Amino acid sequence: MLLDGIEDEDKWLAEGIAGIQHHAFYMHRALDANNLRDALKYSAQMLSELRTSRLSPHKYYELYMRAFDELRKLEMFFKDESRHGVSIIDLYELVQHAGNILPRLYLLCTVGSVYIKSKEAPAKDVLKDLVEMCRAVQHPIRGLFLRSYLSQVSRDKLPDLGSEYEGGSDTVTDAVDFVLQNFTEMNKLWVRMQYQAFFGLSGLQGPGRAREKHEKERSELRDLVGKNLLVLSQIEGVELQMYKDTVLPRVLEQVINCKDELAQYYLMDCLIQVFPDEYHLQTLETLLGACPQLQPTVDIKTVLSQLMDRLSNYAASSTDVLPEFLQVEAFAKLSSAIGRVIEAQVDMPIVGAISLYVSLLTFTLRVHPDRLDYVDQVLGACVRKLPGNTKVEDKRAIKQVVALLSAPLEKYNDIVTALTLSNYPRVMDHLDNGTNKVMAMVIIQSIMKNDSCISTADKVEVLFELIKGLIKDLDGTSDDELDEEDFHDEQNSVARLIHMLYNDDPEEMLKIICTVKKHIMNGGPKRLPFTVPPLVFSALGLVRQLQGQDGEVVGEDMPATPKTVFQFLNQTVDALSSIPSPELALRLYLHCAEAANDCDLEPVAYEFFTQAFVLYEEEIADSKAQVTAIHLIIGALQRMNVFGTENRDTLTHKATGYSAKLLKKPDQCRAVYACSHLFWVDDQDGVKDGERVLLCLKRALRIANAAQQMASVTRGSSGPVTLFVEILNKYLYFFEKGNPQITSAAIQGLVELITTELQSDSSNVKPASDAFFASTLRYIQFQKQKGGAMGEKYASIKV
Amino acid sequence: MVLVLALGDLHIPHRAPDLPAKFKSMLVPGKIQHIICTGNLCIKEVHDYLKTLCPDLHIARGEYDEETRYPETKTLTIGQFKLGLCHGHQVIPWGDLDSLAMLQRQLDVDILVTGHTHQFTAYKHEGGVVINPGSASGAYSSITYDVNPSFVLMDIDGLRVVVYVYELIDGEVKVDKIDFKKTTAATHSAH
Amino acid sequence: MNYIIGAFKPSCNISITFSDAKTRKQVPLKKEGGQAVSVPLFQSQENISGKISIEPIQGKKVEHNGVKVELLGQIEMYFDRGNFYDFTSLVRELDVPGEIYERKTYPFEFSTVEMPYETYNGVNVRLRYVLKVTVSRGYGGSIVEYQDFVVRNYTPPPSINNSIKMEVGIEDCLHIEFEYNKSKYHLKDVIIGKIYFLLVRIKIKNMDLEIRRRESTGSGPNTHVETETLAKFELMDGAPVRGESIPIRLFLSPYELTPTHRNINNKFSVKYYLNLVLVDEEDRRYFKQQEITIYRLQETS
Repeated sequence: MLLDGIEDEDKWLAEGIAGIQHHAFYMHRALDANNLRDALKYSAQMLSELRTSRLSPHKYYELYMRAFDELRKLEMFFKDESRHGVSIIDLYELVQHAGNILPRLYLLCTVGSVYIKSKEAPAKDVLKDLVEMCRAVQHPIRGLFLRSYLSQVSRDKLPDLGSEYEGGSDTVTDAVDFVLQNFTEMNKLWVRMQYQAFFGLSGLQGPGRAREKHEKERSELRDLVGKNLLVLSQIEGVELQMYKDTVLPRVLEQVINCKDELAQYYLMDCLIQVFPDEYHLQTLETLLGACPQLQPTVDIKTVLSQLMDRLSNYAASSTDVLPEFLQVEAFAKLSSAIGRVIEAQVDMPIVGAISLYVSLLTFTLRVHPDRLDYVDQVLGACVRKLPGNTKVEDKRAIKQVVALLSAPLEKYNDIVTALTLSNYPRVMDHLDNGTNKVMAMVIIQSIMKNDSCISTADKVEVLFELIKGLIKDLDGTSDDELDEEDFHDEQNSVARLIHMLYNDDPEEMLKIICTVKKHIMNGGPKRLPFTVPPLVFSALGLVRQLQGQDGEVVGEDMPATPKTVFQFLNQTVDALSSIPSPELALRLYLHCAEAANDCDLEPVAYEFFTQAFVLYEEEIADSKAQVTAIHLIIGALQRMNVFGTENRDTLTHKATGYSAKLLKKPDQCRAVYACSHLFWVDDQDGVKDGERVLLCLKRALRIANAAQQMASVTRGSSGPVTLFVEILNKYLYFFEKGNPQITSAAIQGLVELITTELQSDSSNVKPASDAFFASTLRYIQFQKQKGGAMGEKYASIKV
Repeated sequence: MVLVLALGDLHIPHRAPDLPAKFKSMLVPGKIQHIICTGNLCIKEVHDYLKTLCPDLHIARGEYDEETRYPETKTLTIGQFKLGLCHGHQVIPWGDLDSLAMLQRQLDVDILVTGHTHQFTAYKHEGGVVINPGSASGAYSSITYDVNPSFVLMDIDGLRVVVYVYELIDGEVKVDKIDFKKTTAATHSAH
Repeated sequence: MNYIIGAFKPSCNISITFSDAKTRKQVPLKKEGGQAVSVPLFQSQENISGKISIEPIQGKKVEHNGVKVELLGQIEMYFDRGNFYDFTSLVRELDVPGEIYERKTYPFEFSTVEMPYETYNGVNVRLRYVLKVTVSRGYGGSIVEYQDFVVRNYTPPPSINNSIKMEVGIEDCLHIEFEYNKSKYHLKDVIIGKIYFLLVRIKIKNMDLEIRRRESTGSGPNTHVETETLAKFELMDGAPVRGESIPIRLFLSPYELTPTHRNINNKFSVKYYLNLVLVDEEDRRYFKQQEITIYRLQETS
């Protein structure tokens, strides 16, 4: 049945077009013969096709266009008095003799157009008459098209300033009055359509579909109405004052009084699009004042958002316009208008309210970027709208909230500014955990991108409150839910962030790192390995800064001294033990020890080494890890100059002991000969215990031997000769340094030992060992050839 | 002309948030043929970034590296030069030239690149060269105070290598260069 | 034109010419057969003069008992055909009895003739003016020749011409206020007015304004009324709502109207009415009729 309806309509349209063509044919014949009477007769018949009630707007338009084209030819005929011999004034009367109103008025408008062009009467008089007479057509579609025709033919004949039809002193008022009146009548007709059911189809389909179809038909016609506003905006003579005094109030009056949701929305939108932003700014109060008077179902928030977006762009276009915004108190007006709208439309979904605030915020950031109080105000208003303690659930609303929070970050490259917005964290609290974390990442990225530095503990506190979703598990989440890679990304971001928290003033810096510690300690075992190291190194940086200012106690409970910081460091690194993360903790303790050494704090350094050893003893079981760990301990210890003999001995004893107990013999060997450096510091007052050096080296040799034997037993061949070459090199090292215990004889012995080993094992080619030994020998040769003191030393060694 | 980028000890994110912006803008993909990295990146993200600069990426393991499978030492040949790579925490005393020389002999390389001290050095040592590119991010070091971000670009051309060092000092990038020439084309390092 | 009385051939030609034929305006007059002829136009108080020529045919002489010309104003009711009521009758004797054997021309004049009523051709009645020339003869019948002429009388613009304004309606259904700018209109006038809708509870399809002519003939029990709609002028297309005001501009010139004739000689009246018709979606008609007076205004050339 629906199809039938559509088919019928097409049939009727075809019939209508055929009718027009038929009558037009005769009309043309009459025109060619300069027969006015017949021309009028046939044109009236032709125009009668437009009296149909059967067509939907879309199809009616097609019919109308055909008639329109034919009327242009008729108009040309009317214009040429020599062809028909009737004065334009008489012609104006003549066409009014037509029996049916619709053809009569189309003809009248056509003649009217010629009349105005002839200038035999002021344009305003003709226009006034035409717009009045058109009231006779009360049928919405037919009336709209008729008035649209009037608008079209009169468009270039308005008595505008500078036009050839310009009238007296009120000329622009006349033009405006005409257009406004036509607009008002057209809107009334358009609105009236909603109360009319269209031809039978509506009934066939049922109320829902009918309404849809209805609304579609109404939309199709809306541009006919809106066009009038466009024409108004293009009247040269309409400047701000006239817009303010006449145009806007009249348009708004019609918009409000028509009480039609569709019309109101469309026309408000049209109004905003069509007139310049400068006008809107200057009439802001009036424009906004109309909003609460509109039907409650009108999507006013979209209109307001568009207005604000336009004004934002206007503000961005040039700095000259900014004072205007201040002068009209744009922010205050918009802010209160939005408040009222939200209050009035109780059913507005949350996404709507928030997107309004997003628009307002964008506006504020563009126009009043220096007014942080405004920005905070907007955020605050949004918070008040968000219900209680709940999280926003609607996805689109969440998106809007994120947009709201991101806007200040993007505008103020300095995150610190955003941190001063008291309502910012309150808005964030309304995000669900997932989005909260996303937002936190956005914040961190903003900081990183802009290379911002957060320099007070208070700001750090605020910041960490904002990003708390990353710092700890928020209520209701468990970290199992999170993808591991994402988690790493998050935590690495937090780690990077910590480096952006800095203040030159040690007191403040101490406060900062204490604040950070307080927060990250709630992070749980998964987070600490990421967050502790950067904090530790931040603290170590502070220690270094304080090194020069040692001992100054600047009041308060927590003086910024190295000791305080070391206390802090101890607690911080200790947190890793609960995870456990012994290797990391060990490394950090060693760094602390080195820093304590530089501060001349022997007991502190000793304590750190002790902690490191405890970890080594009790927690580090993997052999590879042990090797690295022991080397780190040895390397650090080697550089210590703060220890007294007793402490030093204890620590070196432990180091060498553990070195010798490593799982694999080669590792033992290497660690032990590394320990030799513990007893020889090539410094002015460094320890130079030649004997103990030698002891180490000898021990290393013994281990190398043992390794050799084991290897030959298991593999049936000699083991790693490399070790011997390494030890030889160490001998050479200490020999050169002047360790009296290292004799050239010992070296010679080693050389021969290695040579023998290599020769005996010629079947198993070990090029690496060969090359190493060869280059070592070359080195010896090189040194011998140096001459001088060095040459003398090496003189007795034969290679 | 073969360009080799040598850098390391970035310690991202433990000790530094990122490479300095000025370095980042200088390091453009496609201009460098090899990257040798002394280690302590520390995270995969940095590895991926370096890979975008040049696919031929060689890394030695630093004690803080997240990736535990990087080798302790590595050798490679570029043109006429044999290069050796090691982080350096394994060589005690840290930063000691003679001890490093031993490693050089052990690896049998013309150019030894190590890090750990975060201090740029370039020594000609018995006909071989020991280079420390420092810390590319200027990371904290127990060994060196006032670390300036630095990296090294080596231009290997036949028997000659020009070592350019880029340092970020007080916000400005300063460049210095050191010339080294190999005496023979032999694979053994000259004595 | 020769009227032949009897079966005889006409014995003479009678022609009537007006002295100011060249300058006097001619207007069409529809004859009974349907054709229209052009005849001179006079108004009351005018002189009607001219010449009457009598020319015998075929050289035969015409013997007569006298020649006269009469000016007649007549009313003829169609239900009583042939029965003319003369309300005006003037006569001029042109010739004494005698013979006419060659063309003889007699001048005639009727001065300042009272012709109070206009020529009118209606449905059931007509009023005409005619010059009747009679050549009296005893036998063979008199020879009669007629010449019609039209009389139109002009009135000046009325000193009082109130507008018609009225509110009408149907309880709870439709209330309108209509206004016509005058109550008296001349034939080339234009009706200007408006229809204001005070209450609209029905669905109106359109609205027309008709001009109706009511011709009533006879009197008492023999009164015969004939109503004709002379014009049907669409005023409005579509359904208005309360508060709408629809303009009226109806030019009278295209329509064949006559002035209002009231009780012409107690024989007939011709009255005009404006009939406002509203049609609703169910084709129900609502109307309000209002009499207007139409008059003939002197044309200023």
